[in-house]
Amino acid sequence: MTMPWRILLTLALGAGTSVKAQERAIVIRGGIVITMAGTRIPNGTVVMQGGKIVAVGANVSTPAGADIVDATGKYVMPGIIDAATHIGLGGNDLNEGSDPMTPQSRVIEAYNPFGEFGGGKPGPLRNHENLSGGVTTMYVAPADRAVLGGQGVVVKTAGPNLDGVILREPAGLNMVLGEPPKEVARSKNRDPFTRMAEVAMLRQLFIKAQEYQKAKGQNSALPRDLGLEAVGRVLTREIPARIEANTSGDIRSALRLSQEFGFDLVVDGGAWAYQMREELASRKVPVVLGQMTTPFVSNEEIPDRTDYPTVDERTPARLLSAGVKVAIATFSASFGSLAPGGQGKWLLIDAAVAGGYGMSDEDVLRAVTINAAEILGVANRVGSLTPGKDADVLVLSGDPLSIKTWVERVYVNGELVHEKGKMEKQ
Amino acid sequence: MPHAKTSGIAGLLLLIGLSPLASQSEAVVALRGAVIHTAAGAPIPNGVIVVTNGKITAVGADVAIPSGAKIYDVGGKEIIPGMLDNHSHIGALSTDLNDFPMVVGPQHRFIDALNLEDKDWGEAVKGGVTTIVTGPGSGENVSGEAVVIKTFGADLGKRLLLEKGGMKFAMGPKSRERYPTTSMGVAANLRAYLIKTKEYTAAAKKWDDDGKKGTPPARDLGFEAMADVLAHKSYVRAHVHSATDVMTLLRLKDEFGFDLTLHHSTEAYKVAAEVAKRHVSAVVLPLGDRIGLTEDAMAGPYVLWKAGVKIAFHTDAPVISQKWLRLCAALAMRYGIPEEEALKMVTLNAAEIARVGSRVGSIEVGKDADFVVFSGPWYEPKSRVDLVFGDGTAIYDRTLEEK
Repeated sequence: MTMPWRILLTLALGAGTSVKAQERAIVIRGGIVITMAGTRIPNGTVVMQGGKIVAVGANVSTPAGADIVDATGKYVMPGIIDAATHIGLGGNDLNEGSDPMTPQSRVIEAYNPFGEFGGGKPGPLRNHENLSGGVTTMYVAPADRAVLGGQGVVVKTAGPNLDGVILREPAGLNMVLGEPPKEVARSKNRDPFTRMAEVAMLRQLFIKAQEYQKAKGQNSALPRDLGLEAVGRVLTREIPARIEANTSGDIRSALRLSQEFGFDLVVDGGAWAYQMREELASRKVPVVLGQMTTPFVSNEEIPDRTDYPTVDERTPARLLSAGVKVAIATFSASFGSLAPGGQGKWLLIDAAVAGGYGMSDEDVLRAVTINAAEILGVANRVGSLTPGKDADVLVLSGDPLSIKTWVERVYVNGELVHEKGKMEKQ
Repeated sequence: MPHAKTSGIAGLLLLIGLSPLASQSEAVVALRGAVIHTAAGAPIPNGVIVVTNGKITAVGADVAIPSGAKIYDVGGKEIIPGMLDNHSHIGALSTDLNDFPMVVGPQHRFIDALNLEDKDWGEAVKGGVTTIVTGPGSGENVSGEAVVIKTFGADLGKRLLLEKGGMKFAMGPKSRERYPTTSMGVAANLRAYLIKTKEYTAAAKKWDDDGKKGTPPARDLGFEAMADVLAHKSYVRAHVHSATDVMTLLRLKDEFGFDLTLHHSTEAYKVAAEVAKRHVSAVVLPLGDRIGLTEDAMAGPYVLWKAGVKIAFHTDAPVISQKWLRLCAALAMRYGIPEEEALKMVTLNAAEIARVGSRVGSIEVGKDADFVVFSGPWYEPKSRVDLVFGDGTAIYDRTLEEK
């Protein structure tokens, strides 16, 4: 297949980002279009222009002079969104070891999309490991050895430069309940030794932040505290608290904190979340589930399964039927040169497993697209093939949930950034 | 490759332990209507399997079903042999896997750590894995002897296929966290132990040859166990990632003549011809949806297969739950291994590499009646295991579980 794109122009697009996008329209036609915003369109057409989706449908006219991509026999869908990763954080940057509570830490200040130190070439950023699995957007969080690791960021996996890949920053404040923070703390003989201490430390911090907000409101000349400012963003519901909680007890603690301080909560991990499904649903708390085919891991090679359980395959459907919004994510980190953190490459296959356990195909796909976008607060930009949204579009060789299917083309902001077998080596 | 005998009491129990309680009429089971992937020939559409007393007694398209047989109509389904996970660590507490201070510990036997209450046995059955190799390691240079065991049943004697299921070596990187700290150190350590084993054997033989006079040489369980490896009664199962360490193992094999299988085998594809030349099998964990290997490494099994290396996949359970063994093979299909070949890599190949290919691994007359009924193609993530048969009995039934 010849490359249908010829002329690239640089356009300035919203949110202060500058991306390369095409003046000339690109039309993908003939494929089965899964919009994630309605029913599938057999023999559908997607029109992209200026980095945005401009039209989607069965009877869409092709703008004059457009580049045509024939997707006959193929599937077209929005870019996959991995709602929880630690990708791009070097080994020493996964966890701040000096302090179990670092709300002032921002992941964006450690995020490295530039590849191995001393390797690679200059130019636009392309995370081909993730792009090859169709992942175009991901949330990057600090890893889970601290009670409060810091502020996460939503990035795209391709863009012209570091500023150009940032979609939302900060996008959440990451906290962890359960064993991982205890493990490190015990080795350093500091708090938290117990779950009680984890929750007490967070509660105390939220109270401090409330006091800080109040005092700052009365006297703006008070010295700034970056950590309390970050917690304040959670209190004012500017960003959600992302709390990793797997056991029903830890999820209860997270729900109690959220009720007490009135913040928006996203439960990460959620291995036993189905036990709490009614309450999660009534409180409208979404869950970002770990992988189904592997133990839920962040950065341990062989996890203690008490705290990193494999997510039960029935969990997504159980949560869904109770009315809980569900995303399925990889929580992947990078493991050095042999394993460059490309779990996103397998996210679709992993999520497909849930399809055997009560999730419809569309439910499964929602869990890695529009639901993830909504949970990350970026659904105005990504997550579905809807006119006005970023032109993050995949062309797949077949049914997205089949093991035999490959992602053949990936467009981010209307630009062809990955083509199977052709662009990895660039 | 010489086959080790099932040893000791376990073997005896095995011989007398075949379905003694089932009456003749109950002991005949037939499945009909499904596509049967035997792992030993072309798929049989609309096939029949007949099981008598736990063994497969007929399989094919035109097979008469004996009267009185318990019949399962499984039209529209797909049947594959019970899968064999060639490398795992389930069935023991995690604190019983590694005896870290014992850098070379061939005297350790996994049978002494078996925990039949481990819930992972049930997870394996649910995923269609009916036989596994499970063993110690891989924190030491030599961790001990694995077992080959079925994943179901209360009678250990009946479950155990091989008590001497292979000697676990580990070439790092994990073992390098402890002494010795380099590849050179590991190699020197292994070589020194193998030489001492030969000296030990020679001393024992000399005492024998000299008419067993006086005090016999002191016995050493470690050397005895390693001597069994050198005598081909057992074989080396080597945890190895880097191509360099693969070559070290091949050199050791050339030098000492033991039977060798590679495990993990991450970079074995880089030296595929060297591996193939020595008829060494490779058990591979593509780790694909685990930590995301490079595309080159993911295509490694295909490279090995093309080079003529017999390969199988493993889960390293509990690293990956055994119920996803089939997906390890399915991922390999993406890189060019044909469907029926990929199936063999979790069934017949895996069984042959584990030295139990005469008992399990394919749907053939005379073999144990272990097989799995899938709702759709075995390799698709969305397909479900509907039924699992072990020794001719339905040991998992999804409809019962969902009630």
